[in-house]
Parts: sequence; C-alpha cells; structure tokens
Amino acid sequence: MEPIRYVDTLAEKYGALGFPPYDWSRFDDAPLTPLGKPLSACVVSLLTSGGVSRCGMPPFQADARNDLRLDSVAPDAPSNDFRIHDSYYDHADADVDLNCVFPIDRLRELAAAGEIGAVAPRLWSGFMGRIYKRQAVLQDKAPALAEMLRADGVDLLVAVPA
Amino acid sequence: MGLVCRVVEEAGIATVCVSTGRDITALVKPPRSYFVNAPMGNPFGQAGDVATQTRILRAALSLAMECKDAGRIVDDPMQWPAPFAFNPAPPTAEARERQLRK
Repeated sequence: MEPIRYVDTLAEKYGALGFPPYDWSRFDDAPLTPLGKPLSACVVSLLTSGGVSRCGMPPFQADARNDLRLDSVAPDAPSNDFRIHDSYYDHADADVDLNCVFPIDRLRELAAAGEIGAVAPRLWSGFMGRIYKRQAVLQDKAPALAEMLRADGVDLLVAVPA
Repeated sequence: MGLVCRVVEEAGIATVCVSTGRDITALVKPPRSYFVNAPMGNPFGQAGDVATQTRILRAALSLAMECKDAGRIVDDPMQWPAPFAFNPAPPTAEARERQLRK
C-alpha cells in the first residue's frame, strides 16, 4: 500500500475538532556529520518518542501535549520491564515485544556479535508527540541531549519517532 | 524527532531516524532516514519477529555509515501483511477546551 499521508490525515482529523493545521517544520536541506569510524568501533544509543517508560518510573501521559520529559534508560534494562502510554498510536505489538519500537535486545545482540562497538551507557525515551513548543526543543532540550550523548562517547544515535 | 536529530547532528554526532511517516520525514528532513511502510507502532516489524527487527536495525546502521547526501530517505522493501490506517485517539475534552479558548 501507499505510505499513509499523516500530514493530511492529521489536518483533517484535528481540523474537524476545531484545531488549526499543525505547522510542520519544513527544511530544504539537512546537516550531516559523517561517522568517522567503522560501525564495529561505534558507540550507539537509541531514542524513542513512543511513551516508553521503565516499570519503576511514573508512566508517560498517554495524551500528553508539550511533554518535554526525557528519561535515560540503562543499557542492560530488561526489555520486559517497560510499559507504554501513548494514545497516538497502536502499541499492542510493542506492549508484548518492546523491540517493535525500541530494539534494545537487538542492539545488544549486535554489540555482542561485534557488529557495533558498544551499546551506549544511556539510552533515551522522551520527546513524545504533539510538542508545540518547538523553540524549547531546538534551543534547550535537544542541545542538552546532544551534550549528554557527547559525555557518553556516543558516535551514532538511532532515533525512532512515534 | 526529526528536529532533535537535526540538532544532535549539528552538534557533531551522527543520527539515523527509523521512520513510519514518509511525508513528515520528507518535510522535516532529518539527516538520514530509513522509512518502513508499517503501522506507527511497528517500525521494526511484528512482535517476536527477531529476524525482521535485526534486519531493519542493521539497515539503519548501514545507512548511517554510508549516507553522504544529507536528508536522504531510504525505503525498506517490506510489505506489511495487511492494510493499516492511522487512528490516533481524539484529544481529551480538556485539550479541546484549551484550544477552543484560544
């Protein structure tokens, strides 16, 4: 099937409820930092925005707006010790197998096999959907994440939006 | 999330996005994107499908390694086994109230 047209679908669904169309960021080009080393030497981190939290932590709010919470996740966290709260998407599969949205088991396997250098000391969950405070992300929260990634010696971030 | 990737990349750390929203990705242009035509809750495939999860993660990592043209989107070949739609829960009454007051 053709990819879902999310921009149009959201404008229709929310427009019918009185919301103005979401003003998506649009860019003509993108920054690029080459990976300066082979994958087998890279420290890799993961980031999900799918409302994923450890069972011992407070859950994300399923219907959050402008939630700038960002949790760090230990690299050895068991994949069955998470829960998902996000009304934006169907996470039935990820509820039984976290790797559908946040493939921590698969990443650890690739590290054990030597395909990547190492799993980063911190993985990340946050930046849940429906953030309208774009400047807070651009000027504060995303640079803070970049700083923490740098502190952890991360070479590559795999980001999984939801 | 695309914005976060752009900021992290600008700070000198490589990023790759594994996306299920091709149109949004094309607008926001994260530095590198691997597009999987699957429901939003299944960017790495189905529950228990270890082979597909590994294949998609590997493909994303390879893209990070090889991609030299910024903003590129690479399409995963997987065909999702059934048609799917996007059905977010409607905003809460409180969120609607807030919006309508604006």
